Amino acid sequence: MRSYLAEIRALAAKDLRVEFRTRERFASMTAFVVLSALLFNYAVDWTVVSPQDLASALIWMIIVLGGLLGLGRTFELEKEDGAMQGLLVAPVRRDALFLGKVVANCVLLAAVEVIALFAVALFFQVNFIPNGLPVAAVLGLGTVGFVSLGTLFSGITAGTRMGETLLPVLLFPLLVPLVVFGASATSTLLAGFPATTVYGSLRLLAAFSLLALACGMALFRYIVEE
Amino acid sequence: MEPLLEARGLVRTFGPIRAVDGISFSLDEGQLLTVLGPNGAGKSTLLGLLCGSLRPQAGEIRFRGELRDAGATEWRREIGVLSHRTWLYGALTARENLTFFGRIYGLADLAERIEASLAGVGLEAAADRWVREYSRGMRQRLALARTLLHDPALIFLDEPFTGLDIHASALLRDVLAWLKDGRRTVILVTHNLSEGLALSDRVAIQHQGRFAFLGDPSEIPAGDEERFYRDAVERPAGPSSGSDGGGPAGSSLRQDTDREGAFGVR
Repeated sequence: MRSYLAEIRALAAKDLRVEFRTRERFASMTAFVVLSALLFNYAVDWTVVSPQDLASALIWMIIVLGGLLGLGRTFELEKEDGAMQGLLVAPVRRDALFLGKVVANCVLLAAVEVIALFAVALFFQVNFIPNGLPVAAVLGLGTVGFVSLGTLFSGITAGTRMGETLLPVLLFPLLVPLVVFGASATSTLLAGFPATTVYGSLRLLAAFSLLALACGMALFRYIVEE
Repeated sequence: MEPLLEARGLVRTFGPIRAVDGISFSLDEGQLLTVLGPNGAGKSTLLGLLCGSLRPQAGEIRFRGELRDAGATEWRREIGVLSHRTWLYGALTARENLTFFGRIYGLADLAERIEASLAGVGLEAAADRWVREYSRGMRQRLALARTLLHDPALIFLDEPFTGLDIHASALLRDVLAWLKDGRRTVILVTHNLSEGLALSDRVAIQHQGRFAFLGDPSEIPAGDEERFYRDAVERPAGPSSGSDGGGPAGSSLRQDTDREGAFGVR
């Protein structure tokens, strides 16, 4: 168990170290979420629509779309000089390889989400603080599910010529339940309702994320081997 | 004595192409086998099957007498693979690359191993530079350090001389000579005849997915290696090439009893 966790840690740390150094994915994701929030700010007529009504949907959409920019390039690092082959001949369990990627992507997306929340709070005058912890729980569970599926499908599309186009086509239909439960729970919390009112959505998000994680761990080896 | 590595009837196809077509051989501990062959002969595919990055569609591989499970990871701790691609991360330094690979191999005394490895390939002074800034020769030397970091018993070298300058080629030759300590077993894949024959205990010439020759280097007439090689690869591949005693002059091809058309020499 200890060596399994050490493998995951080494793999995630490597990805994060490279990302911290190059900021290739973080920069594009952050720019996307901030600019999207800014453009929406100008695109919506606030005399007709209340910011709270739109904020939860906007948060989820910019996180999903911005996240896609980063997730789609999860395996770019391994394409450089054939590094994936180096991992496949090493004594790395394939599910540990998947979890290492998921952990690194979750950390990266969480950092982008913090910036997205600040941008939405700034441009839409939305206050997340009263229900800060429940909102974080909703986003956290949603992030695990989104990243698990995104990493798995990124592995599938990485070897194809139209990978970046194919990824959203394959991934978006599967994200529908995640976005529905996530956005409705976030909307409820932003409207000032207590956290107990979203327990149902939280349980569904947790079940979805666990299922996505388990599927990724089970299927990843068939994707990366050959 | 039980062979360290034994392959029987390996087959791997890519569509209509039979890249590896019923290859069988065994290799004892401490031996160096060179696999020669023209481009497209299936050498790298064979190496992929042996090191576990590809799965055979037929046949079996035994490591230390035990049937190798491609899904297991323990036997992978005992192999090291050096490809013509370095498998390194350009945005990490040499030291960070070795630290990462050392950690996924679960190595103890990693810091000492890394220092020794870097010194062994002459990269101590550049250890903290990004690998992206390295020359091709420096990258390949670092890849060699990565390959040997965990002290593997079985080493696969796939076209390791490709793109190397004179200095790096000389270093690689020195390392190959050093690896012949009787403890490590090496499979070297190359299309370079002189490099391939220099240190080998066994030589195989692969053509159209099959071994057209497998034997001792002494069986190849001295001074006439190129003609021998050309004869081997120009003969039509097939079961008849060995069973009728054909083949390059002076060769001692023997048909493997397990599979028609596959040749094995112990």
